[in-house]
Amino acid sequence: MTSGVKVHTKMAPCKKKHASSQSCVLPGGFTVLSLQFSSDSVSQHKLYVKEHRVRAEKSSRRPLDRTLFVLNIPPYCSQDVVRELFSQFGTVQSVELGDHPGSLMESGPKLSRFFRPAEKQGFKVGYIVFQNSTSIAAAKSHPHDIPLVVCTDQRPVLTGVQKWIKQYTESLIQVDKLQKIVDSFMEEYDKKKEEEAEQQRKEAEQQQEDEEGWVKVTRGHKGTKARPHSEAANQRTLQKEMRKKKRKELMNFYTWQHRNTQKEHIAELRKKFEEDKQRIALLRGQRKFRPY
Amino acid sequence: MKNKQKVAEDLAETIPADSNHEEQEQEAQIKAKRRNPEEAGGDQLVYHPVKLSRSDLYRPPSAEELNQLKEAESLFHCSLLKMQMEELLKEVALSERKKQQIDSFIQTVTKLLQTVPDSPEFEVSDLSWLSSAVKVPFLLVPKTKKGKFHMTPPASVDLIGSYPLGTCIKPHIMVDLAVTIPADVLHPKDILNQRYPRKRALYLSGLAQHLTSSSDIGTMRYSCLHGNRLRPVLLLAPTGKDFSSFTVRIHVCPPPGFFKPNRFHPQKNNIRTEWYTGLSTSQAGTCEPPTPHYNSSVLGDLLPRAHLQFLSAISSQCSAFADGVALLKVWVRQRELNQGTGCFNGFLSSMLLAYLLTTHRISNTMTAYQLLRNSLNFLASTDLTVNGISLARDPDSTAPSLAEFHSAFQVVFVDPSGHLNMCADMTTCTYRQLQHEASVSMQFWDNPTVDAFHSLLMTPKPMIRTSDHVFQLCDLVKLQSGCKKLNLLNELMDHCGDYVQTMLPYILSLLQQGLGQRVCLLTHSRSPDPEWSLDSEAPKYKAQPPVSFGLLLRPDLAMSVLERGPAADSPKAAEFRKLWGSRSELRRFQDGAITEAVLWEAETMYQKRLVPRQIITHLLQLHAAIPESCVRYVAAMVDDVITTGSEVPSTGEEESLLVVQSYDDLSRKLWRQEGLPLTITSVQGAHPALRYTQVFPPLPLKLDYSFFEREKTSRSLVLKDSKPCPAYITPITVICHMEGSGKWPHDRIAIRHIRAAFHIRLAELIKKHHNYTCRPCPTHLDVWKDGLVFRIQVAYHREPQVLRESVNAEGLLIVRDNEEAQALEMATVHKPQLTSTLHGLQQQHSCFGAVCRLAKRWLGAQLFSEDITEDTADLLVASLFLQPAPFTPPGSPQVGFLRFLHLLSSFDWRNNPLIVNLNNQLTGKDTLSLTLTHTHTPLYPFLKDFFSKTSLAHQLLFIASPAEQSESHWFGLLKKFQMLQRVVMVAAESLKVLEQQLMDSSQMQDVRVVMRPPLDAYDVLIHLNPKQVPLLSQAVDPPAVTFSRGVITGSVAQSGGALPVIDYNPVSLYLVELREAFGDLALFFCDPYGGTVIAVLWKPKAFIPLPFKTSQVSARRMEVTGEEVTMVPNVEAILEDFQIMGKGLVKSVEPRIEKWSF
Repeated sequence: MTSGVKVHTKMAPCKKKHASSQSCVLPGGFTVLSLQFSSDSVSQHKLYVKEHRVRAEKSSRRPLDRTLFVLNIPPYCSQDVVRELFSQFGTVQSVELGDHPGSLMESGPKLSRFFRPAEKQGFKVGYIVFQNSTSIAAAKSHPHDIPLVVCTDQRPVLTGVQKWIKQYTESLIQVDKLQKIVDSFMEEYDKKKEEEAEQQRKEAEQQQEDEEGWVKVTRGHKGTKARPHSEAANQRTLQKEMRKKKRKELMNFYTWQHRNTQKEHIAELRKKFEEDKQRIALLRGQRKFRPY
Repeated sequence: MKNKQKVAEDLAETIPADSNHEEQEQEAQIKAKRRNPEEAGGDQLVYHPVKLSRSDLYRPPSAEELNQLKEAESLFHCSLLKMQMEELLKEVALSERKKQQIDSFIQTVTKLLQTVPDSPEFEVSDLSWLSSAVKVPFLLVPKTKKGKFHMTPPASVDLIGSYPLGTCIKPHIMVDLAVTIPADVLHPKDILNQRYPRKRALYLSGLAQHLTSSSDIGTMRYSCLHGNRLRPVLLLAPTGKDFSSFTVRIHVCPPPGFFKPNRFHPQKNNIRTEWYTGLSTSQAGTCEPPTPHYNSSVLGDLLPRAHLQFLSAISSQCSAFADGVALLKVWVRQRELNQGTGCFNGFLSSMLLAYLLTTHRISNTMTAYQLLRNSLNFLASTDLTVNGISLARDPDSTAPSLAEFHSAFQVVFVDPSGHLNMCADMTTCTYRQLQHEASVSMQFWDNPTVDAFHSLLMTPKPMIRTSDHVFQLCDLVKLQSGCKKLNLLNELMDHCGDYVQTMLPYILSLLQQGLGQRVCLLTHSRSPDPEWSLDSEAPKYKAQPPVSFGLLLRPDLAMSVLERGPAADSPKAAEFRKLWGSRSELRRFQDGAITEAVLWEAETMYQKRLVPRQIITHLLQLHAAIPESCVRYVAAMVDDVITTGSEVPSTGEEESLLVVQSYDDLSRKLWRQEGLPLTITSVQGAHPALRYTQVFPPLPLKLDYSFFEREKTSRSLVLKDSKPCPAYITPITVICHMEGSGKWPHDRIAIRHIRAAFHIRLAELIKKHHNYTCRPCPTHLDVWKDGLVFRIQVAYHREPQVLRESVNAEGLLIVRDNEEAQALEMATVHKPQLTSTLHGLQQQHSCFGAVCRLAKRWLGAQLFSEDITEDTADLLVASLFLQPAPFTPPGSPQVGFLRFLHLLSSFDWRNNPLIVNLNNQLTGKDTLSLTLTHTHTPLYPFLKDFFSKTSLAHQLLFIASPAEQSESHWFGLLKKFQMLQRVVMVAAESLKVLEQQLMDSSQMQDVRVVMRPPLDAYDVLIHLNPKQVPLLSQAVDPPAVTFSRGVITGSVAQSGGALPVIDYNPVSLYLVELREAFGDLALFFCDPYGGTVIAVLWKPKAFIPLPFKTSQVSARRMEVTGEEVTMVPNVEAILEDFQIMGKGLVKSVEPRIEKWSF
């Protein structure tokens, strides 16, 4: 604890006079909160918090007035831990942790935890959405020398061997459960595919001539093309053209062409010779020719 | 400029060049600095391709240039080799300045020698005229009775040998000076009974006494020519700072023509038995035994001037003679054949070239390159032990015939006079070694995939790294009794009491006979020329260093435990019984034959590899009375670190075989599996254990169920909190490719789900048909079988392609390579392929696996296993077997390991890619262009280019060079130049220590020294609780305490049972967490094989204060200096996090604050 205080007095530029019981504000609008693992820890991590403020964010999941942006969350703080830590400032609606600050994590289909890629266990950034906007001010005005404590008797946080044992136990999957997940996912996937196929069929129908020979041309929206052109196919066509062109060319037919080939050959030899010479010079510079 | 900056920046990063290391290493560093001054700071030498301008390229060529270009094209692989040889010659040639120094020193010495004062005449046995500071360089036994001697100025002083001939090369420049004794000191009958050699020694000591008074001469020492004690020489070093730059060797010679050459016929006797033994032989009529070696040693003194004249005449005709000899000398020297008794010295090299020139096998106009090539070709194809050669054009009638020479000597090469055999002391084995080396050189010379120049002239081949097994005869005094036992008095007399030289040919032929087909080459070390100071007596024969013998094994026959002899009733049986003594016994074989046979005890591969040792000790004891204690067998000493099994020592071959057999059974069962919606198209192993290269192959385990808790629903064991960490069970990866079908979805997530479904289905079938306990997961399927766990992964060959495809905004399907796809392709395609290829290599070379295991054990112990992955290490070792030049493929784990260290420490990683040519798929042209392109263009674009053009991707191994450090490719390249530098340094140090220990019996014998990493370079040490380290027993120094790990002994059940705890290793879990959390601040090192310490190294860059930015606040705290707010790592909290995150595993965190420099 003492060491923590020492550090603080040194680093509070803003309100030096009554720094000991006040919150500390950084130039970027960030406020410092201390966090320690358990009550008998000697050192603390610093959380940097501020209200979430982004110009171009339209997401409804991070309402500007109620979201707190937190930096430097240590790896042992899971989503639930963070939720509980911050619920002292007001009811927490949702917590979102990520590796980098930035827009929402990909919003693909919701996957069961067995199919999600493994999470990185590093320091995280978090977006905490409170129910009331007042909670943000409460969090920001929290005195920085009263640290948040991660692991308490009421809320033990497992680390180390105990955590790994728990992890291992959780990694055991029941087969029928897994089968169920797979089945439901595939069912949905098949349905989606079918819908797509249906849509395509419809479009194809629309493109067909009617009795009078008219074709209805529609603009169609993005991404509806049945099979997009591939880059590789384009390349192949180009190469084919090139080959054709080359085949038609006459090589070593005229005297000047022959002379040119010879000239090229000598130039090639010279180039190689020069390259070798440089290589040798390089090696000589590094004393690579001493046999012993 | 930009490039330079980048390099400098990177130098600052990671390992701080090891400033605080063991003293030894510092020494090595200093040495390295001296040798490669650019290595330390000279990173300016980055290759800048210079482009020739158009006018330069296309200007009309002159005739000379055209010739030069054509010659380079036709004579050499490329002009490179030619230039390399020219550069090498420049390195070894003497500079003009040096020559002047030598000349002036010679002048002073000559002047001094001319002024030797006369002395009165006295008896030879009287040594009172010598001062006590100068001793006679001769072993004066037995005593001389007759003869008078007096000092007098020499008749003449002349330069002889390589210096006046112009074939003298650096280093160890030796200038020979012949001092002629005036005729009146000698008597024509002095050749008898060592009188002449003793007078010569007296004369030499007289000269030495005179020279000690002069201040122009630095240190003086005695030595003897090629280890022959009959021919002492005086070594003079100049004074001043260049005292070690050259040595003048003073020979004392009789006046030319003083003795008649026919007195030295190899069948004549010049040492009387009566004089030598001191016993008067009563039978005066008996014929005295011939003394060919004594004769030739005296005769050798008579002829040096004539030889010099002869060679000068030859050399003046052939312009490249001196260069050719220099190259040949370098070649010989790299093979350690140029020193000691019976060596192939520089003089012989010159004479050999002279022979080839006089017999018109090479023409006068050839270049040095061709001279070298032709002489090696000649050596490889001519057997001088049977068909000797002679330089004598028309020898006089008294000269002995070649047949007479052959009967007296093993190797015959007669000098121009026709009287002297220049190879008198050479043993058959030495010549065989020479021949072997020459033929190996000729083989790889023409192979365009090999760097011929390096293998030929730049790679040293010390015995310990060349021979598969090495043994030493230590207590050389014991050889005396051997002489007695073999009744070698006459030979001993011929060698003037040198019992080592006397015994050597007998020992060699005995071993050759006993080892027979097991070895393809038997070599021995030649005792080096002893040197001693003027005031000490000549060293005794027993003072020589031990004689080392090297065996080059024939891998298929060397390990046989049976020596099958002739049928019991055949006449050869007696001979066989005589050779093997009591070990020979009658045996009946399966084919019904009853023959004599010897059976050696060996069960495991480890023991079988040491069968030659049993043979050698047995034969030496039986026939040469050399006790076993004298034989120091240096093989398999390093193998200790990978041995398992307490009763029968084994290095893991047997355990690996068990794993492979179990896998084969599983793969058969998978193939036969019916009832899957798609068929299995391939089952491939992708784990080191399946190619015999797992350091500690997984052992079948029987579990103690009470040690675990049970999870009811999935019938598997789970860990108990209170117990120590259970034994680690390695999942052995098996890739199972399924048939392609239109039914596979074309979507990455859907593929994952389908795969999970496959795993479930496969698990059901395996359980039903074979009753193996299975655990299907989305990513894999674990099968518990024979006490091992196999991890089956179902793969779909188009999946990487699906991962690469994406649709861009315009609806165009684009294919972009990405890491995910690469990783998948690596795991499902390249790794299985590599595994099967390396498995094939193991079938060809039985010790491949063991070498890999030793190499990886070393890498692990030195904390490098994170930087050089298992696959990379295996490939590096594979390169030793695939491109052994200039060696032959390693035949024992130890020699393979030494060569691995040598490869790491000496390969020119900076300028060359290491290309591992698996399955010989690369041709010479490819290799060449690769080598060139590698240095001429930045690595990455080229690689991309090359890989897209050819399908050889996985056939290559590039260890990234510093200029391209950013790119890693294929089998884990060394990304960081610093890391590479450190690996190189540690490997060099380990190699040095190890070779010294192996070759020097007087040193402390603990090969594990090279496996203990120096920890003082690291900033923080995290000590782990051994209770939670599951692989503790694999540690280099396994601790005395052991923990119960939930394993019981007993036979292993083949199937059924609850699923064990698989792949649970707290240490690796902890490391993953540490690296994810603090990877940008520090590097973490740990020995994966039972290491109990995690070494942490701060990245210097991490401690540069950064401005406050949301992207760089992790684990940092603010620091305020004035108005500025910067972020620095919150070290206190980080150290505490180390504790928190590894709770239960971490014993203590030891910060070494005194080392931190920020």
